[in-house]
Amino acid sequence: MKEEKAKLIVQGMKEAGVDFAVGVPDAQFIEVYKMLERSESGIRYVGAANEAEAAGICMGAWAGGKKPALVIATSGLLVATYHIARINLLHEIPLLILIPYRGDLGDPRWLGMYQKTTEPALKAMDVPYRVVRRSEDVVRTIKECHESARAWLRSAAVLFTEEALW
Amino acid sequence: MVSRYALLKKLAGVVADDTLVVACIGNTTAFWGQLKEREANLFHVTLGMCTPVAHGLALALPKRKVVALDADGNLLLNLGSLGTVANEAAKNLTIIVFDNGNYLGSHKKEPGMRTATGGKMNLAKVAEASGIDSACMVDDAEAFEQKVKAALGSNGPHVIVAKIAALDDDRPEKSRRIPDPRQNKYEFAKYIERTEGVAILGGGLGNFG
Repeated sequence: MKEEKAKLIVQGMKEAGVDFAVGVPDAQFIEVYKMLERSESGIRYVGAANEAEAAGICMGAWAGGKKPALVIATSGLLVATYHIARINLLHEIPLLILIPYRGDLGDPRWLGMYQKTTEPALKAMDVPYRVVRRSEDVVRTIKECHESARAWLRSAAVLFTEEALW
Repeated sequence: MVSRYALLKKLAGVVADDTLVVACIGNTTAFWGQLKEREANLFHVTLGMCTPVAHGLALALPKRKVVALDADGNLLLNLGSLGTVANEAAKNLTIIVFDNGNYLGSHKKEPGMRTATGGKMNLAKVAEASGIDSACMVDDAEAFEQKVKAALGSNGPHVIVAKIAALDDDRPEKSRRIPDPRQNKYEFAKYIERTEGVAILGGGLGNFG
Protein backbone atom coordinates (compact mmCIF):
# COMPACT_ATOMS: atom_id res chain seq x y z
CA MET A 1 0.00 0.00 0.00
CA LYS A 2 1.37 3.41 -0.93
CA GLU A 3 1.84 5.78 1.97
CA GLU A 4 -0.09 8.57 0.30
CA LYS A 5 -3.12 6.30 0.00
CA ALA A 6 -2.89 5.41 3.68
CA LYS A 7 -2.75 9.13 4.42
CA LEU A 8 -6.03 9.56 2.57
CA ILE A 9 -7.74 6.99 4.79
CA VAL A 10 -6.48 8.67 7.95
CA GLN A 11 -7.33 12.10 6.55
CA GLY A 12 -10.86 10.92 5.87
CA MET A 13 -11.18 9.60 9.41
CA LYS A 14 -9.91 12.87 10.88
CA GLU A 15 -12.14 15.04 8.71
CA ALA A 16 -15.08 12.81 9.66
CA GLY A 17 -14.37 13.51 13.33
CA VAL A 18 -13.21 10.00 14.21
CA ASP A 19 -11.14 10.20 17.40
CA PHE A 20 -10.87 6.53 18.37
CA ALA A 21 -9.99 3.49 16.26
CA VAL A 22 -9.76 -0.19 17.04
CA GLY A 23 -8.49 -2.89 14.77
CA VAL A 24 -6.39 -5.93 14.01
CA PRO A 25 -3.67 -5.28 11.42
CA ASP A 26 -3.68 -6.88 8.00
CA ALA A 27 -1.19 -6.62 5.13
CA GLN A 28 -3.42 -4.57 2.85
CA PHE A 29 -4.00 -1.77 5.37
CA ILE A 30 -0.75 -1.99 7.32
CA GLU A 31 0.31 1.58 6.59
CA VAL A 32 -3.03 2.82 7.91
CA TYR A 33 -2.57 0.95 11.19
CA LYS A 34 0.96 2.27 11.55
CA MET A 35 -0.20 5.83 11.02
CA LEU A 36 -3.07 5.41 13.48
CA GLU A 37 -0.73 4.01 16.11
CA ARG A 38 1.53 7.04 15.84
CA SER A 39 0.27 9.72 18.17
CA GLU A 40 0.45 12.48 15.53
CA SER A 41 -2.66 11.06 13.87
CA GLY A 42 -4.67 12.53 16.74
CA ILE A 43 -6.76 9.36 16.80
CA ARG A 44 -6.50 7.04 19.78
CA TYR A 45 -5.71 3.59 18.38
CA VAL A 46 -6.26 0.34 20.27
CA GLY A 47 -4.91 -2.90 18.86
CA ALA A 48 -7.26 -5.77 19.71
CA ALA A 49 -6.66 -9.51 19.75
CA ASN A 50 -9.48 -10.18 17.32
CA GLU A 51 -12.10 -8.23 15.41
CA ALA A 52 -14.97 -9.31 17.65
CA GLU A 53 -13.20 -7.83 20.64
CA ALA A 54 -12.45 -4.74 18.54
CA ALA A 55 -16.16 -4.27 17.80
CA GLY A 56 -16.95 -4.49 21.51
CA ILE A 57 -14.29 -1.91 22.40
CA CYS A 58 -15.76 0.40 19.74
CA MET A 59 -19.24 -0.01 21.23
CA GLY A 60 -17.98 0.92 24.68
CA ALA A 61 -16.00 3.88 23.36
CA TRP A 62 -19.11 5.18 21.56
CA ALA A 63 -21.12 4.91 24.77
CA GLY A 64 -18.39 6.95 26.44
CA GLY A 65 -18.65 9.79 23.93
CA LYS A 66 -15.95 8.82 21.42
CA LYS A 67 -16.42 8.66 17.67
CA PRO A 68 -14.97 5.24 16.94
CA ALA A 69 -13.97 3.46 13.76
CA LEU A 70 -13.56 -0.28 13.43
CA VAL A 71 -10.68 -0.90 11.04
CA ILE A 72 -10.65 -4.55 9.97
CA ALA A 73 -9.88 -6.91 7.12
CA THR A 74 -12.43 -8.81 5.05
CA SER A 75 -11.51 -11.94 7.02
CA GLY A 76 -11.96 -10.00 10.26
CA LEU A 77 -15.45 -8.98 9.24
CA LEU A 78 -16.38 -12.65 9.38
CA VAL A 79 -14.75 -13.03 12.80
CA ALA A 80 -16.79 -10.10 14.11
CA THR A 81 -20.07 -10.97 12.43
CA TYR A 82 -22.05 -11.90 15.53
CA HIS A 83 -20.81 -8.86 17.41
CA ILE A 84 -21.45 -6.36 14.62
CA ALA A 85 -24.89 -7.87 14.01
CA ARG A 86 -25.80 -7.52 17.63
CA ILE A 87 -24.38 -4.00 17.96
CA ASN A 88 -26.16 -2.88 14.79
CA LEU A 89 -29.46 -4.72 15.03
CA LEU A 90 -30.15 -4.95 18.76
CA HIS A 91 -28.34 -2.02 20.34
CA GLU A 92 -28.45 0.15 17.19
CA ILE A 93 -25.09 1.73 17.85
CA PRO A 94 -23.21 3.41 14.99
CA LEU A 95 -19.89 1.78 14.17
CA LEU A 96 -17.98 3.16 11.22
CA ILE A 97 -16.39 0.06 9.68
CA LEU A 98 -13.45 0.53 7.32
CA ILE A 99 -12.38 -2.49 5.27
CA PRO A 100 -9.76 -2.93 2.53
CA TYR A 101 -11.74 -5.00 0.04
CA ARG A 102 -9.91 -8.20 -0.69
CA GLY A 103 -11.35 -10.52 -3.26
CA ASP A 104 -13.04 -7.91 -5.38
CA LEU A 105 -12.51 -8.14 -9.15
CA GLY A 106 -9.08 -6.70 -9.86
CA ASP A 107 -7.45 -8.22 -6.78
CA PRO A 108 -4.52 -10.31 -8.11
CA ARG A 109 -4.36 -12.50 -5.00
CA TRP A 110 -6.26 -15.74 -4.74
CA LEU A 111 -8.73 -14.47 -2.18
CA GLY A 112 -11.94 -14.83 -4.09
CA MET A 113 -13.92 -16.10 -1.11
CA TYR A 114 -14.15 -12.57 0.26
CA GLN A 115 -15.96 -11.44 -2.86
CA LYS A 116 -18.55 -14.06 -1.95
CA THR A 117 -18.72 -13.24 1.76
CA THR A 118 -18.09 -9.54 2.36
CA GLU A 119 -21.03 -7.76 0.79
CA PRO A 120 -23.54 -10.54 1.59
CA ALA A 121 -22.40 -10.46 5.24
CA LEU A 122 -22.88 -6.69 5.44
CA LYS A 123 -26.31 -7.02 3.83
CA ALA A 124 -27.28 -9.80 6.23
CA MET A 125 -26.33 -7.58 9.16
CA ASP A 126 -28.24 -4.68 7.64
CA VAL A 127 -25.07 -2.58 7.50
CA PRO A 128 -25.25 -0.13 4.57
CA TYR A 129 -21.95 0.27 2.73
CA ARG A 130 -20.16 2.03 -0.08
CA VAL A 131 -17.48 0.53 -2.31
CA VAL A 132 -14.70 3.04 -3.06
CA ARG A 133 -12.88 2.37 -6.34
CA ARG A 134 -11.06 5.69 -6.83
CA SER A 135 -8.58 7.36 -4.48
CA GLU A 136 -10.24 10.72 -4.96
CA ASP A 137 -13.43 9.36 -3.37
CA VAL A 138 -11.77 8.05 -0.18
CA VAL A 139 -12.03 11.09 2.08
CA ARG A 140 -15.52 12.17 1.03
CA THR A 141 -16.97 8.67 1.35
CA ILE A 142 -15.58 8.12 4.86
CA LYS A 143 -17.06 11.45 5.94
CA GLU A 144 -20.46 10.74 4.41
CA CYS A 145 -20.74 7.24 5.83
CA HIS A 146 -19.71 8.42 9.30
CA GLU A 147 -22.19 11.28 9.27
CA SER A 148 -25.02 9.01 8.20
CA ALA A 149 -24.12 6.33 10.76
CA ARG A 150 -24.18 8.82 13.60
CA ALA A 151 -27.43 10.41 12.44
CA TRP A 152 -29.17 7.09 11.86
CA LEU A 153 -27.69 5.36 14.93
CA ARG A 154 -26.80 2.43 12.70
CA SER A 155 -23.46 1.09 11.58
CA ALA A 156 -22.06 1.83 8.12
CA ALA A 157 -19.13 0.36 6.22
CA VAL A 158 -16.71 1.55 3.56
CA LEU A 159 -14.95 -0.99 1.34
CA PHE A 160 -11.76 0.17 -0.39
CA THR A 161 -10.78 -1.74 -3.53
CA GLU A 162 -7.31 -2.33 -4.92
CA GLU A 163 -7.79 0.46 -7.44
CA ALA A 164 -8.40 2.95 -4.63
CA LEU A 165 -5.51 1.79 -2.49
CA TRP A 166 -2.66 1.19 -4.94
CA MET B 1 -20.90 -22.27 47.23
CA VAL B 2 -21.87 -18.63 47.26
CA SER B 3 -24.49 -17.49 44.76
CA ARG B 4 -24.30 -14.87 42.02
CA TYR B 5 -27.16 -12.97 43.65
CA ALA B 6 -25.43 -12.89 47.05
CA LEU B 7 -22.35 -11.33 45.47
CA LEU B 8 -24.37 -8.84 43.44
CA LYS B 9 -26.03 -7.72 46.68
CA LYS B 10 -22.58 -7.12 48.16
CA LEU B 11 -21.58 -5.18 45.06
CA ALA B 12 -24.75 -3.09 45.26
CA GLY B 13 -23.71 -2.00 48.73
CA VAL B 14 -20.29 -0.72 47.72
CA VAL B 15 -20.55 0.59 44.17
CA ALA B 16 -20.72 4.39 43.88
CA ASP B 17 -23.63 5.98 42.05
CA ASP B 18 -21.42 7.31 39.27
CA THR B 19 -19.54 4.06 38.66
CA LEU B 20 -20.43 2.68 35.24
CA VAL B 21 -21.46 -0.98 35.28
CA VAL B 22 -21.50 -3.15 32.15
CA ALA B 23 -23.44 -6.38 32.72
CA CYS B 24 -23.30 -9.51 30.60
CA ILE B 25 -26.52 -11.04 29.41
CA GLY B 26 -28.70 -13.46 31.36
CA ASN B 27 -29.09 -13.61 35.09
CA THR B 28 -26.30 -11.12 35.75
CA THR B 29 -28.20 -8.43 33.84
CA ALA B 30 -31.54 -9.63 35.25
CA PHE B 31 -30.43 -9.68 38.89
CA TRP B 32 -28.37 -6.48 38.75
CA GLY B 33 -31.26 -4.68 37.07
CA GLN B 34 -33.56 -5.71 39.92
CA LEU B 35 -31.03 -4.68 42.56
CA LYS B 36 -29.84 -1.41 41.10
CA GLU B 37 -32.13 0.69 38.95
CA ARG B 38 -29.71 3.37 37.72
CA GLU B 39 -28.79 5.17 34.54
CA ALA B 40 -25.15 4.13 34.87
CA ASN B 41 -25.93 0.51 33.86
CA LEU B 42 -25.26 -0.92 30.42
CA PHE B 43 -27.08 -4.24 30.09
CA HIS B 44 -27.34 -7.29 27.78
CA VAL B 45 -23.71 -7.48 26.65
CA THR B 46 -23.01 -10.96 25.45
CA LEU B 47 -20.76 -13.58 23.83
CA GLY B 48 -17.35 -12.21 24.65
CA MET B 49 -18.30 -8.55 24.45
CA CYS B 50 -18.70 -7.65 28.13
CA THR B 51 -15.07 -7.00 29.00
CA PRO B 52 -14.31 -5.34 25.62
CA VAL B 53 -17.30 -2.97 25.94
CA ALA B 54 -16.33 -2.06 29.49
CA HIS B 55 -12.76 -1.60 28.29
CA GLY B 56 -13.80 0.78 25.51
CA LEU B 57 -15.88 2.74 28.00
CA ALA B 58 -12.97 2.92 30.45
CA LEU B 59 -10.62 4.19 27.73
CA ALA B 60 -13.16 6.79 26.58
CA LEU B 61 -13.80 8.06 30.11
CA PRO B 62 -10.57 7.64 32.05
CA LYS B 63 -11.84 9.60 35.04
CA ARG B 64 -14.87 7.36 35.61
CA LYS B 65 -14.74 4.01 37.37
CA VAL B 66 -15.98 1.21 35.11
CA VAL B 67 -16.95 -2.27 36.28
CA ALA B 68 -17.53 -5.23 33.93
CA LEU B 69 -19.82 -7.95 35.27
CA ASP B 70 -18.52 -10.74 33.09
CA ALA B 71 -18.92 -14.51 33.27
CA ASP B 72 -16.76 -17.54 32.56
CA GLY B 73 -18.56 -18.72 29.42
CA ASN B 74 -18.74 -15.18 28.10
CA LEU B 75 -15.09 -14.29 28.74
CA LEU B 76 -13.84 -17.61 27.36
CA LEU B 77 -15.09 -16.54 23.95
CA ASN B 78 -12.71 -13.58 23.94
CA LEU B 79 -9.84 -14.46 26.24
CA GLY B 80 -7.49 -12.34 24.15
CA SER B 81 -9.31 -9.29 25.49
CA LEU B 82 -7.40 -9.76 28.76
CA GLY B 83 -4.12 -9.16 26.93
CA THR B 84 -5.52 -5.98 25.40
CA VAL B 85 -6.68 -4.83 28.84
CA ALA B 86 -3.21 -5.48 30.25
CA ASN B 87 -1.46 -3.57 27.48
CA GLU B 88 -3.78 -0.57 27.52
CA ALA B 89 -3.62 -0.51 31.34
CA ALA B 90 -6.80 1.46 32.00
CA LYS B 91 -6.50 2.41 35.68
CA ASN B 92 -10.27 2.83 36.04
CA LEU B 93 -11.33 -0.65 34.93
CA THR B 94 -12.40 -3.52 37.21
CA ILE B 95 -13.46 -6.81 35.66
CA ILE B 96 -15.56 -9.10 37.83
CA VAL B 97 -16.03 -12.60 36.43
CA PHE B 98 -18.87 -14.65 37.88
CA ASP B 99 -17.47 -18.11 37.32
CA ASN B 100 -20.05 -20.86 37.80
CA GLY B 101 -18.09 -23.30 35.64
CA ASN B 102 -21.25 -24.01 33.75
CA TYR B 103 -23.12 -23.45 30.51
CA LEU B 104 -26.89 -23.15 30.63
CA GLY B 105 -27.17 -23.86 34.33
CA SER B 106 -28.36 -20.45 35.39
CA HIS B 107 -31.91 -20.77 34.11
CA LYS B 108 -32.40 -24.41 35.01
CA LYS B 109 -33.02 -26.57 38.01
CA GLU B 110 -30.19 -28.86 37.00
CA PRO B 111 -26.66 -27.80 36.00
CA GLY B 112 -26.03 -27.59 32.27
CA MET B 113 -22.62 -28.57 30.91
CA ARG B 114 -19.32 -27.48 32.33
CA THR B 115 -17.14 -24.74 30.91
CA ALA B 116 -13.35 -25.04 30.80
CA THR B 117 -13.24 -23.43 34.25
CA GLY B 118 -15.52 -26.19 35.49
CA GLY B 119 -12.54 -28.38 34.65
CA LYS B 120 -8.93 -27.35 35.07
CA MET B 121 -8.83 -23.79 33.79
CA ASN B 122 -8.14 -20.93 36.23
CA LEU B 123 -9.19 -17.54 34.87
CA ALA B 124 -7.38 -15.55 37.57
CA LYS B 125 -4.10 -17.18 36.53
CA VAL B 126 -4.94 -16.56 32.87
CA ALA B 127 -5.52 -12.87 33.67
CA GLU B 128 -2.26 -12.69 35.58
CA ALA B 129 -0.34 -14.40 32.79
CA SER B 130 -1.98 -11.98 30.33
CA GLY B 131 -0.20 -9.18 32.14
CA ILE B 132 -2.86 -8.00 34.61
CA ASP B 133 -0.98 -7.73 37.91
CA SER B 134 -4.09 -7.29 40.04
CA ALA B 135 -5.88 -10.58 39.45
CA CYS B 136 -7.38 -12.76 42.15
CA MET B 137 -9.90 -15.50 42.79
CA VAL B 138 -12.43 -15.49 45.62
CA ASP B 139 -15.09 -17.97 46.68
CA ASP B 140 -17.02 -16.29 49.50
CA ALA B 141 -19.02 -13.11 49.92
CA GLU B 142 -16.77 -11.43 52.48
CA ALA B 143 -13.60 -11.87 50.41
CA PHE B 144 -15.50 -10.69 47.34
CA GLU B 145 -16.66 -7.51 49.05
CA GLN B 146 -13.16 -6.82 50.35
CA LYS B 147 -11.55 -7.29 46.93
CA VAL B 148 -14.17 -5.16 45.18
CA LYS B 149 -13.74 -2.34 47.69
CA ALA B 150 -9.97 -2.50 47.27
CA ALA B 151 -10.25 -2.51 43.48
CA LEU B 152 -12.62 0.45 43.35
CA GLY B 153 -10.32 2.37 45.66
CA SER B 154 -7.10 1.81 43.73
CA ASN B 155 -5.63 1.95 40.26
CA GLY B 156 -6.34 -0.98 37.95
CA PRO B 157 -6.92 -2.74 35.78
CA HIS B 158 -8.23 -5.34 38.21
CA VAL B 159 -9.66 -8.80 37.60
CA ILE B 160 -11.69 -10.51 40.33
CA VAL B 161 -12.79 -14.04 39.50
CA ALA B 162 -15.62 -15.08 41.82
CA LYS B 163 -16.35 -18.78 41.97
CA ILE B 164 -20.11 -19.15 42.36
CA ALA B 165 -22.69 -21.93 42.51
CA ALA B 166 -23.68 -23.46 39.19
CA LEU B 167 -27.37 -22.76 39.78
CA ASP B 168 -29.07 -19.49 40.70
CA ASP B 169 -31.37 -20.84 43.41
CA ASP B 170 -31.91 -17.55 45.24
CA ARG B 171 -33.04 -15.32 42.40
CA PRO B 172 -34.81 -12.07 43.32
CA GLU B 173 -38.45 -11.37 42.68
CA LYS B 174 -38.92 -9.64 39.35
CA SER B 175 -40.17 -6.22 40.36
CA ARG B 176 -39.31 -4.13 37.32
CA ARG B 177 -38.69 -4.44 33.60
CA ILE B 178 -35.08 -4.38 32.50
CA PRO B 179 -34.73 -1.89 29.62
CA ASP B 180 -34.23 -3.52 26.22
CA PRO B 181 -30.92 -2.82 24.44
CA ARG B 182 -32.21 0.23 22.55
CA GLN B 183 -33.95 1.86 25.51
CA ASN B 184 -30.90 1.11 27.64
CA LYS B 185 -28.63 2.70 25.03
CA TYR B 186 -30.63 5.94 24.95
CA GLU B 187 -30.83 6.20 28.74
CA PHE B 188 -27.16 5.42 29.22
CA ALA B 189 -26.02 7.78 26.47
CA LYS B 190 -28.16 10.64 27.79
CA TYR B 191 -26.74 10.04 31.26
CA ILE B 192 -23.16 10.19 29.92
CA GLU B 193 -23.98 13.28 27.86
CA ARG B 194 -25.36 14.99 30.96
CA THR B 195 -22.61 14.01 33.36
CA GLU B 196 -19.61 14.22 31.03
CA GLY B 197 -20.62 17.11 28.76
CA VAL B 198 -20.12 15.11 25.58
CA ALA B 199 -22.38 14.67 22.53
CA ILE B 200 -23.23 11.05 21.77
CA LEU B 201 -26.66 10.76 20.21
CA GLY B 202 -26.59 13.81 17.96
CA GLY B 203 -29.61 15.49 16.47
CA GLY B 204 -29.87 13.58 13.22
CA LEU B 205 -30.66 16.89 11.57
CA GLY B 206 -27.46 17.41 9.62
CA ASN B 207 -26.16 20.94 9.79
CA PHE B 208 -29.20 22.01 11.79
CA GLY B 209 -28.78 19.43 14.52
